[in-house]
Amino acid sequence: MLHNKKEWISGYFFILPSLILLIVLVFYPLFMTFIYSFYDMSLVSTRYLGWEAYQKLFQNPMFSLIFKNSLTWTILVVFFQCLLGLGSALVLKQTFIGNTFLRGLVILPWVMPGVIAGMAWRLIYHPQLGLLNHYLQVLGIVDQPLTWLSSPTMALYAVILAAIWKGFPFSTIMYLAGLQGVPLELYEAAEIDGANETSKFFHVTLPSMRPVIIVTLLLTFIWTFNYFELVYVMTGGGPAESSHIFPTYIYDLAFKRFRFGDASRFAVVDFLFLLIFSLFYVRLSFKSEESA
Amino acid sequence: MIKRQKTGKITIYLFAVLLAIFVLFPFVVMISMSLKAPDEQFTSPPYLIPKRPTLNNYLQVFGQGSMFAQYFINSLLVASISTLIVLGVAIFSSYGYARINFPGKNILFVLLLLSQLFPLAAIIVPLYRIMGNLKLIDTYLSLIISYLTFSVPVGVWLLRSFFLGVPRELEEAALIDGCTRFQAFWRIVIPLVRPGMGATSAYVFFLTWQEFMFALTFINSESKRTLPVGIFDFVGQYETNWGNLMAASILVCIPVFVIFFFIQKQLVGGLTEGAIKG
Repeated sequence: MLHNKKEWISGYFFILPSLILLIVLVFYPLFMTFIYSFYDMSLVSTRYLGWEAYQKLFQNPMFSLIFKNSLTWTILVVFFQCLLGLGSALVLKQTFIGNTFLRGLVILPWVMPGVIAGMAWRLIYHPQLGLLNHYLQVLGIVDQPLTWLSSPTMALYAVILAAIWKGFPFSTIMYLAGLQGVPLELYEAAEIDGANETSKFFHVTLPSMRPVIIVTLLLTFIWTFNYFELVYVMTGGGPAESSHIFPTYIYDLAFKRFRFGDASRFAVVDFLFLLIFSLFYVRLSFKSEESA
Repeated sequence: MIKRQKTGKITIYLFAVLLAIFVLFPFVVMISMSLKAPDEQFTSPPYLIPKRPTLNNYLQVFGQGSMFAQYFINSLLVASISTLIVLGVAIFSSYGYARINFPGKNILFVLLLLSQLFPLAAIIVPLYRIMGNLKLIDTYLSLIISYLTFSVPVGVWLLRSFFLGVPRELEEAALIDGCTRFQAFWRIVIPLVRPGMGATSAYVFFLTWQEFMFALTFINSESKRTLPVGIFDFVGQYETNWGNLMAASILVCIPVFVIFFFIQKQLVGGLTEGAIKG
């Protein structure tokens, strides 16, 4: 018992530095954001609103737009990153000349600083200098150059494509590791049963990779939902606020319009949404794991 | 059968080439633009391969009146100091979470992970006020402190997965031989997780090197800006000079690419282990 107590104390001693930093720098500010969210705050005045503040928020048409944009953005990016990640991992698992080289290349978009990726894609989409429009026209896919980032209906989707490119290598890395963990005996057993490549994929590969896929989807969902740089650098939320998502709009409210209360309310909803989503997600995936 | 294998091989190469094109296209566009002289940058229709490639854009990035070198030094300074602090904190905490049993451990670890659930924009207003009260606005210290908010949790989480990979028996033997917990940690375990420390430092450096939002908010004077903000600002001022901009962008990428090249294996191992083991 005495030994245990000593063990406890050394445990707390080891984690103390990070715990203090976390409380002071993360949980205290987060708590303040919760408090601010009940106020109407600007540079010059502060007024307590209470729950009325949230009633106003839910009636705000910008709120539903931001929510819709954020969901569209996150779901599309996560879905295609998963698809591309799985596809590229399956390709990279094969042996071919240049495999190691390609593995090194694939990781580059993920390693590239977000601001620079945003700049590069701005150039690609550029109405005059952009090569994308040029190639699309040469290939006869479009007659007129597309406006990409300057069109309210297209801007968000243009950034989504860039975000898929930027982030999919993380999924590739995870799924490659997952593929290496699939026991070879399972494939051998499936072959004896006469399974072809497709049914091996659906009956052996996918089920064995379930845990990796579940974790990767959750991580990419959270990261994408809160990803600030690409949207901010490529469109700044525009044109006409059409491509704002939660993090960019929170930032705009706070530091361009100095509406700190509004910014805090959007931040609180963002946090609570991700919290509830993650809890349900983890619960559901564990439940179906038990029944499987 | 042989024919089927052959078409299989061809399909693999086809997909590999498609993948390479998709990944490389933006890089090729950047390199192409960075090698073009001003008169070639604005041709319509645009073309990929410069007719008279030049390194002038790269020279101008370092040339007179350019702040690039200053931004580079600022970024290097802020990212290095942040990384050192995070490593110092994370070594202890990740060991504590990986190895020692104490009441409340799981809850505290979940709290650490919870801190990844909100956007950094959600804490930036209170942080700005704190920095203002401490008179830290427009200092490197404001960036170093605010970078700890995201890099400490990530560092602890990542390094923990490396500690989990060290066999328990080694420390247990040391403890039985009369080592204290701290001695066992410092003399036996730490030397074994050196590759993990390298990978964790590299990842934290990479995160802080590219941080944009805090740097955009807390720094006012041009001479203290870091690279991402400097690059972003470039567009506002000289919307036209894409050649210079892309040359600077490539130069910003090079350090992180080089670091990743060397630690890729350890980092990938740590990330996948960490994610799967929770």
